[in-house]
Amino acid sequence: MSELTKKTDEDVIEKPLPPNWILQHPMYQHLMNLDVGDSAQVHAAFLVYLDLAEVRQWKEVSGVGCSELRLVLLEGREKEGEPTQMVLPLPVHRGLSHRSVRSVLARGSPMLLCVVASDSSLVYQRMCDGLLTPDPPVGIQDQGRRQHRKRRQQH
Amino acid sequence: MDSPEQKITKTVSRVDASKESMANSRQVIGINFCGPTPLMWRADDLKSVRELGIIGTLVGSLARQPRQNTRLGRPLELLPEEGRLMADMGRAAVIPDSTNEDPEVNPEQVEQYHAGLENSFQEQGALALEDRKTTLMRVITEKHNENSGSQEDSDGAVRDRLEALAHGFSFPRTAMAVQLCTARAGLSHCPEVRRFLAADWPIPRDERSETRFRVFRDLRRQGFYLTSAGKFGGDYLVYPGDPLRFHAYFIVVCISMDESMPLCDVLAIARLGSNVKKTVLLCSSGGSQEDDGEEVVYTSLQWSGMV
Repeated sequence: MSELTKKTDEDVIEKPLPPNWILQHPMYQHLMNLDVGDSAQVHAAFLVYLDLAEVRQWKEVSGVGCSELRLVLLEGREKEGEPTQMVLPLPVHRGLSHRSVRSVLARGSPMLLCVVASDSSLVYQRMCDGLLTPDPPVGIQDQGRRQHRKRRQQH
Repeated sequence: MDSPEQKITKTVSRVDASKESMANSRQVIGINFCGPTPLMWRADDLKSVRELGIIGTLVGSLARQPRQNTRLGRPLELLPEEGRLMADMGRAAVIPDSTNEDPEVNPEQVEQYHAGLENSFQEQGALALEDRKTTLMRVITEKHNENSGSQEDSDGAVRDRLEALAHGFSFPRTAMAVQLCTARAGLSHCPEVRRFLAADWPIPRDERSETRFRVFRDLRRQGFYLTSAGKFGGDYLVYPGDPLRFHAYFIVVCISMDESMPLCDVLAIARLGSNVKKTVLLCSSGGSQEDDGEEVVYTSLQWSGMV
């Protein structure tokens, strides 16, 4: 799928891309052919695919159709040998129900929600099942009596 | 008013104190409603419900420091879920609103009160007279010791003066001391009243309140302490222990399973959670309308670390 990265140095001067290059991209066509999401969602999925595969260099990124949610999901590994993660790409104007989140979580892999804005900027949000204790704040020290001493001086 | 006004003084030994606290742990607590808001007024009640994990919020002013709001006093405002949980456990009873009571409803009590006042007045008058006599005697005796006049004359003079005092003395009503009771017997002392009031809890029947309550009850069962999370745009703040000792771990947002959340809102609250080092929990009640048995599902929003 990463034909662009196989280019050698000789091919630095590329021919200009046609305006509808996305529509012609094999991955985009593959996602459309899954025949689940609407075109806006597929477009969002494709942009997330490009980000994961090309920018973040994830491995084995592929499209997965989820018929119960009528959505296209992406599956991939952050690094070689790591377990696969499931990414739910959505355009920003869409709503999201807790039920949809639960059904993606039910597939068992760690889940990322990726929201695609109208300017194509992406935000990732990790979601997991259960109560995840947050990291404690850093830099906590016992101040001892210093606080009290300071206050007394102010009087 | 139904509950008797008594001043209760007890000296408790250490053994009695522990027995009392055990008894308190099963006592029924009276809750006053101001509109839909449950309020608690008695300091003992506030202490005992904290042991149940009911925290509430103090919303009143302190009697001696009214012009500040750094430290607030009673009443304690409860979350509707806290009140309902207490009612479900059989620990709460609604105290009916007394402002609508007919003032003529208990003329016997009114009569009793006036009779009591009259008795107190007579007693106080008699005591005041005795007091005056003692003072007079002391003054006369001092004068007698100074002047050392004839014994017979001074005795007669003393008797005359005492009689004059007794006749002329009047204890004015305005000088009477009236006792105001500041303590009240709680509902533990009136089991009939308690049974009568306990049935009366107002339960809202919309889905959102129901979801909120189920989430509250489930988290409480797991041992967490919950307070309201208005400052963070959520439903509850969840603490692993007493809120005075710990920072909150979670911001709870209660939603129904099929409610569509705008993605901007999801991102906004997740971002807020990361900034304040709390995990945002999306909570839904997974079941149907049965009372028990359906489980609450939790989804944690975690910082993705993907810049």
